[in-house]
Amino acid sequence: MTVELPAGLQELLPAHLMAQRWYAGHSGPPLEHVDVESGRLLWSDGTGHSLWHAIVEAGGDLYQLVVGERPAGEPADFLHGREGATIATLGQSYFYDATLDADMDKVLLRVASDGKESAELARPVQAEQSNTSLVFDDRLILKLFRRLHRGHNPDVEVTTALAAAGFTHVAAPLVTWREQDFDLAFGQQYLVGGSEGWALALTSLRDLYKSPAQGPGEAGGDFSAEAERLGRMTAEMHLALATGFGVTTGERATDSWHALVSGMERRIEAAGDVAGRDLAGAAAPMLDRLSSVSDAGPFLRVHGDYHLGQVMRTDTGWYVLDFEGEPARDLSERTGYSSPFKDVSSMLRSFHYATRHALGEQPAADAEQLEPLALAWDTHNRQAFLDGYRRTPGIDDLLPPPEESPAVLIGYELDKALYELDYERAHRPEWVSIPLDALDRLLHGGDQVG
Amino acid sequence: MISPFAAPQQRWYQHAVFYEILVRGFYDSNGDGTGDLAGITAKLDYLQWLGVDCLWLLPFYQSPLRDGGYDISDFWTILPEYGDLADAVELVEESHKRGIRVIADLVMNHTSDQHPWFVESRESRTNPKADWYVWRDDDSAYRDARVIFVDTEKSNWTHDAQRGQYYWHRFFAHQPDLNYDNPEVAEAMIDVCRYWLDIGLDGFRLDAVPYLFEREGTNCENLPETHEYLRRVRKEVDSLFPGRVLLAEANQWPEDVVEYFGSSDECHMCFHFPLMPRMFMAVRREQRHPITEILARTPEIPPGAQWGIFLRNHDELTLEMVTDEERDYMWAEYAKDPRMKRNIGIGRRLAPLVDNDRRVAELLHSLLFSFPGSPVLYYGDEIGMGDNIYLGDRDGVRTPMQWSPDRNAGFSQGDFARLYLPPLMDPVYGYQAVNVEANVRDPSSQLHWMKRMLEVRKQHPVFGTGTFEVVSVDNPSVLAYVRCTPEDATLDPDSPVSGQQDIVLCVCNLSRFAQPAELPLIRFEGKTPIELLGRVPFPRIGELPYFVTLAPYGFYWFELVDSPGGAP
Repeated sequence: MTVELPAGLQELLPAHLMAQRWYAGHSGPPLEHVDVESGRLLWSDGTGHSLWHAIVEAGGDLYQLVVGERPAGEPADFLHGREGATIATLGQSYFYDATLDADMDKVLLRVASDGKESAELARPVQAEQSNTSLVFDDRLILKLFRRLHRGHNPDVEVTTALAAAGFTHVAAPLVTWREQDFDLAFGQQYLVGGSEGWALALTSLRDLYKSPAQGPGEAGGDFSAEAERLGRMTAEMHLALATGFGVTTGERATDSWHALVSGMERRIEAAGDVAGRDLAGAAAPMLDRLSSVSDAGPFLRVHGDYHLGQVMRTDTGWYVLDFEGEPARDLSERTGYSSPFKDVSSMLRSFHYATRHALGEQPAADAEQLEPLALAWDTHNRQAFLDGYRRTPGIDDLLPPPEESPAVLIGYELDKALYELDYERAHRPEWVSIPLDALDRLLHGGDQVG
Repeated sequence: MISPFAAPQQRWYQHAVFYEILVRGFYDSNGDGTGDLAGITAKLDYLQWLGVDCLWLLPFYQSPLRDGGYDISDFWTILPEYGDLADAVELVEESHKRGIRVIADLVMNHTSDQHPWFVESRESRTNPKADWYVWRDDDSAYRDARVIFVDTEKSNWTHDAQRGQYYWHRFFAHQPDLNYDNPEVAEAMIDVCRYWLDIGLDGFRLDAVPYLFEREGTNCENLPETHEYLRRVRKEVDSLFPGRVLLAEANQWPEDVVEYFGSSDECHMCFHFPLMPRMFMAVRREQRHPITEILARTPEIPPGAQWGIFLRNHDELTLEMVTDEERDYMWAEYAKDPRMKRNIGIGRRLAPLVDNDRRVAELLHSLLFSFPGSPVLYYGDEIGMGDNIYLGDRDGVRTPMQWSPDRNAGFSQGDFARLYLPPLMDPVYGYQAVNVEANVRDPSSQLHWMKRMLEVRKQHPVFGTGTFEVVSVDNPSVLAYVRCTPEDATLDPDSPVSGQQDIVLCVCNLSRFAQPAELPLIRFEGKTPIELLGRVPFPRIGELPYFVTLAPYGFYWFELVDSPGGAP
């Protein structure tokens, strides 16, 4: 592996890395140094403008950096107000995060596509958590993976397979940048004018919360038709995933199910008392019921991190994005097979989050009055989503037998809520009440699953 | 006739604002309780002041008036209540003097059952007009053709006792369809066109064009024979009367409607029906997708063609071109009282449809004036007139124009009891509250706002023929789009946009709450947006997303100009 970076740059990278949102080690101790796995010059114009590429190891994880170099003193408006984007001035040059530099982005696109793609205009997408995306000419979006894993990135792998299987609800793959053993970047058709599902759900909820005389079905901003279509698209996605990656059935699937249930038992035990609740006690009957499921249906490759922020409403229907899976889980878990109900339940959880998020925007004094509306919206749109999902021809073949279906769905919802509980306790204690509400509802509804 | 327009622009209709007039309901010049052609002439100064470019007159021909004049019983004569040929000629000439053109409705598909052609045709199976209509021994033919007026008609066939046969009708039973397979019929209708173009009319709005021909095994709509006939009409019009316009009413999906433009050799204009309900739907849902979806599935149109777009017209708000789910939604939202439903639509005027919220009415007009197409206004909507859903059929939206708070709304000097329909008198929409006189006196009225919008629109021909491109915005309640002069048009010396590149950015908020939006405008980096209504310069566009905030139902039209001193 070649390592060829400007002298002195490597020493500055720990501080730079710690200033990035996508750096995963924020909760750990300060980063002292990074190991450079590879480093090279991607492009230079011979007058002091260069683009450098590096893969570095920090705290056990691999990260991808693209570093711009310009002559010291040359103005760069795009760095204004971007704290942490500038690395330092070294000698005659200064170094910075090249993704903010439209000129460098265009170079990057040419390199990533091996010269097949080029663009006149480039802009970075704002406020991203774990990767960096660049939009070119409102035509192509290039996602630069920040945390790298050896092997295939599931987003590249699954999206490409779905497109090949004729599934039309993923943006067409246009660029795959792969070097050595890493998927470095992935380019897809840019969905012009699309709206994120999360934003649409909030729009509907804000309308409802200001139309208290009406139910969610009568309000002008009713979301159920969208939810129904989203359900249908989700089922079609699962059918295409089953075609592209196959399914497991029988003992192997049942074993996976039981592993999931025992995992939940351990996690509930470990969670201890939460906000004065004896979770383990409350969960026991439900866990017994879940353990008794003898056939959890076929298991298949699923989206794995399916929520309203991962779906986009466009003028030609819903599209699904980002098959990377939950970033906090390790790769083998993310590419493992599950019941399609894993995705269904996590989308339902997202509906619940949306109702509560929109509730949080309202004055606290109104919360009590709006709570029934939030619940009604949730129920109404869950139903519409599930109706759309279940009415899709062929989907029954991928679901558990009817008598076990409710239990499997609740099981995955419980699993997701436990994940949320851990996440919120660690990162956003003020949101803990959302998964707790869900746990209360799921655990007390145990008798309804038969 | 010599054209009154100094430099005749053959494609004037691509930049025109149309104003639809119910002759019966606009102004009564002789006190008989019914509006007339001379009444329209008397109000031309008002229409010129408002700034409209072309009047569209609903049918003014001799008729028993069982379908608002769409049941014509003599194509050559003006309905006596409306005046005579001299009145029509005067209206056309006076309009032209003011730079206003005039088109009129023409029903080609059918006639009244009292038309002499039909009277003769039904007499026997052998008379000279026997084959001018579509006759059969039974009602079994053309089973795949839908019934359009589902509220009143059970079948497209009606038995005629006199002739002992069934005749074909796509609309009411008293409107038999003409038989276009008969060359005499085809020729007779072209004669009718020539006659009215000869007196100076600037064109026709062709009613119900998809149904001219019938063929077994089809739904009898949009048939190739129909298109062939329209090409013949177009050729005739273009050769004898260049610069006149054919505007087709074809309530079909856009991909089917474009067929009526042909290769610039059928109709000059077609109405865009499906766009209209979706504008209302987008406002209710507070998100842009109902609109962007239908615009995305609207195909390119050939050179010289133009869409006619509208918010409301004399018919119900038609919901034929929406899905079942969307229709249920529209009914639930906009026709809460079953009386508001008409056939497969909603029989209401604009103001009541939007709960008399002027902000929404203005927002919808801002869309109408800036979307691709030529806007068509419906008389009375400029002052926010209401409707009367208790009147029969579609009369609820055809009440007299409200000119003043005087007797009969200033519409007629006749006895109240003689009026063709009572004017609105309710406390909200009644003529005491809503009328032209009050609107003219009030500088902040909707009428003045409308006049100003039309002025601004006229200054920017790009609204008529510019390209249309949606700008991606994360906030689903915000719709942003750019209208831009097409490259080739700046080089076309006949085009009103010749020699200049005009870029207009429109941003609107479909929600009743204030909204923020970040617009990716890097391709316009360095340009300065100038707000068109107030000419206020906004901050220069940089490389970061351009941030705007919008008031509830707010909108901006920006002209993008090179910044003073040039880009840095």
